[in-house]
Amino acid sequence: MSIDGAPAVGLHGVTKKFGVDVVAVDDMGLEIRDGEFFSLLGPSGCGKTTTLRMIAGLEFPTDGSIQIFGDEMGLRPPNKRPVNTVFQSYALFPHMNVEQNVGFGLRMKGVDRSEEKQRVNEAIDLVRLSGLNTRRPGALSGGQQQRVALARALVNQPKVLLLDEPLGALDLKLRQTMQLELKDIQADVGITFIYVTHDQEEALTMSDRIGVMNEGKLVQVGVSEEIYESPANLFVASFVGDMSFLPAEVVEPGSVRLAGGEIVRAKTDSNPGTSVTLALRPEKLHLFANASEAPPDRNALSGTVTRRTFYGESLYYEVAVGASGSFDVRVENLPVMRRWEVGDEVVVDFHPDSTTALAE
Amino acid sequence: MTVQQAGGRRSRMDRWLSLNGWFVFAFLYLPILVVIVFSFSGASNVGIWGGFSLRWYRRMAGNEQLLATLENTLWVALWSTIVATVFGTAAALALDRYRKWVSRGTFDAILYMPVIIPDVTMAVMLLLWFTQIGLPLGRLSIVLAHIAFNISFVAIVVRARLAHMDSSMEEAAADLYASRWQTFRRVTLPLIMPGVLGGGLLALTLSLDDVVITSFVQGPGSTTLPVHVFGLIRRSVTPEINAVSTLMVTASMILVFASLAIQRRGQN
Amino acid sequence: MTLTDERTEEVAVNPRLERAARRRESWRGFLHAVPAYVYLIVFFVLPLIVVFVFSFASRSRTGRPELENWNVDGWTRLTDELVRTIVTRSLFVAALNTVLCLIIGYQFAYWIATRRKQSTRTILLILVLIPFWSNFLVRTYAWRMLLDSDGYITQLGELTGLWGRTLFTLPAVFLGLLYGYLPFMVLPLYAAIERIDWSLVEAGRDLYASGTKAFMKITLPLSRPGIVAGSILVFIPSLGAYVTPDILGGAKTTLLGNFIVTQFGAARNWPFGSALSSAILMVMLLATILYFRSGARTV
Repeated sequence: MSIDGAPAVGLHGVTKKFGVDVVAVDDMGLEIRDGEFFSLLGPSGCGKTTTLRMIAGLEFPTDGSIQIFGDEMGLRPPNKRPVNTVFQSYALFPHMNVEQNVGFGLRMKGVDRSEEKQRVNEAIDLVRLSGLNTRRPGALSGGQQQRVALARALVNQPKVLLLDEPLGALDLKLRQTMQLELKDIQADVGITFIYVTHDQEEALTMSDRIGVMNEGKLVQVGVSEEIYESPANLFVASFVGDMSFLPAEVVEPGSVRLAGGEIVRAKTDSNPGTSVTLALRPEKLHLFANASEAPPDRNALSGTVTRRTFYGESLYYEVAVGASGSFDVRVENLPVMRRWEVGDEVVVDFHPDSTTALAE
Repeated sequence: MTVQQAGGRRSRMDRWLSLNGWFVFAFLYLPILVVIVFSFSGASNVGIWGGFSLRWYRRMAGNEQLLATLENTLWVALWSTIVATVFGTAAALALDRYRKWVSRGTFDAILYMPVIIPDVTMAVMLLLWFTQIGLPLGRLSIVLAHIAFNISFVAIVVRARLAHMDSSMEEAAADLYASRWQTFRRVTLPLIMPGVLGGGLLALTLSLDDVVITSFVQGPGSTTLPVHVFGLIRRSVTPEINAVSTLMVTASMILVFASLAIQRRGQN
Repeated sequence: MTLTDERTEEVAVNPRLERAARRRESWRGFLHAVPAYVYLIVFFVLPLIVVFVFSFASRSRTGRPELENWNVDGWTRLTDELVRTIVTRSLFVAALNTVLCLIIGYQFAYWIATRRKQSTRTILLILVLIPFWSNFLVRTYAWRMLLDSDGYITQLGELTGLWGRTLFTLPAVFLGLLYGYLPFMVLPLYAAIERIDWSLVEAGRDLYASGTKAFMKITLPLSRPGIVAGSILVFIPSLGAYVTPDILGGAKTTLLGNFIVTQFGAARNWPFGSALSSAILMVMLLATILYFRSGARTV
């Protein structure tokens, strides 16, 4: 029986080994709340899909406990779990039409025919595929197939919906439309979504919370802002968004010395002498012609523009600061912004709070 | 080398390949066509055209012995096909859908051997075995022998089909509350059906065609049509054999086209 | 489902439970194989062993093997002058037939596989499949009829003075074997050649600049799986061919297949026939191992 207030999905010490020495998922602990849009983010091979498949019951953990609303799943087969999956390849049955595909789960559960028909039609309406009921998957576009896969899972009113890179096969424009639509549908049906993706932007825009995975381990869990603004380690920092990394040494709490000797005020409470990596987001840096133009009480470092890249809505400047390294600076492409040329002497300015000092 | 030269070379090469290709087709088809044409010849001598006649077909239809062997042939082909299709399909599933089980590799190797073993060797093996275990030679021994080689052919054809079928289909079915049996019945089986039917038709053809193995393991009165015809050919060439041959080729053709139609439907 | 199964579902997984689940899954796979497995053991593997065992048996008056007096007579007879001649001839015939099938079949398969339109390729392939599926006996019979003394081929040969009576000669056997086994070579070759990524050949032509060299260094190695599979599918049956040499070869061109059949028929020497069969089986096993080793298996 479900326990009130229990998390939608709870993972405790979940480990999955393939063969003797391949550890796909390593001692994972995670609680996903009811009604949450949770993303598992990470590069390919990080164990995120394996985690999802273990929740679905398509794979059994080597060790550990997976609970859905407090119910221990153990070795329960997928057909006896209150979850449904949207597969990366959609896995639509090619020999059944849209209606039969969507109705498959209800038919297997033994829901009576009139209720089945009604719920199938509702689900098809929900994903806006009305009128295509009798089409075979082969006669549908990629986006439409994606919607059928979604309807086929949602129609069963699962307690948790699992989505394995569902938008991976779609082109950029369609993917962006579907992202919004998925988010709306989730808000509409109120089901917990667990969404696996390697696309950090997708994870940031859609999720209530994100779990970042690397090499089988969960490295950080948090809301989008936390993940972006305060990455827990170098991996999260480099995987999510752009960043400049500079080696540094802590001088005293709140202050570090760069390789070139410049002292910079930064967010750190490590002991003096600790080696850290200073991480900076390009959009939080500003460029000025000289130190007097720069606002006071911030960090100002002199450097030279070594590269300029035009992105349309913005420009990226690479600025070399002596022996300390290079900073990437993003400047909005606005008429009021000054353009710099390669070779220009500039001052890089940033607020101490925009820095992250990551211990090795 | 200029593009012009390369082009010239390619087309000369291509012309040669086309010539060779059509020559090979002529080589493959002309002999069969000659047999078919002469089956309608009224002359008693095989090599001479004696005007259109159905004389040999009438004679064939009245040949009691021939009809008896035809009945044996069909009985054997039908039963060996049914059993081999069921066993072969299960074997293909075991190999393709279950990656790890004891002696899987051994089974895989055993399954492939009947395909390449020469007919004569297989015939000798089975004859020795049947006499050793005291199985009387007759229709049953022929069926048992045919199943032995047909299982492998069915398994190969079905396995090729399974290899093209994403196992996420079955995962999706399981995820949608289907039990193992429901998954097989409603998803796996319909999707591999073209392979199963194709394999079954191949088994039927092989069974209908077999001469060597059947001639070893047959008993009195259980002779099949090809073995009977083989005996006739060894003695002499007669226009009646042309008529029987035409019948057998027609049967093969029907089976090929049935098989192709099934494969084609499976692709759509 | 058993009571213990129900209980294990409700507890967290540990390595022991997962291993048990994996074992159950493996067991299921094995069960699927059981019907075919048992059948092939009873009607293929055991007969295979029996043939080998009986090659050491002695011969009773009826020619049936007796297990009392073990001997290696069957095997020593393999070195007889007559047997050596037949074995050499059979190996020669099988090898030459394989080479002929390969030369003709490769060009043929290459031609089909390189047709631009998919529909053309399909139609040409169907045209190969029809004779492949057609009754082997009938196809051999067709040549018997054509080569017969008053058949058209003989008439043509006599008219041009190029050849005489060909039936019951070795060339007739070659013709029959080539005709019979060519489709077995063409189909795997086609499958291999059609799969070739032609951009590799183009890259090769770009680097080697010569069509012949690109073919030798790229196309040919890439079609190796088809060459190996096709060669085995032609060589082994050719080595044991019975119907073709019997119908087209006559008494003077006895091959291994016919010789074995004779041992079980007129010659009434089953142990010797078993030894001959065992020898062929060993060649076959060797070929099977080569086949699996070469990674040529396509399904």
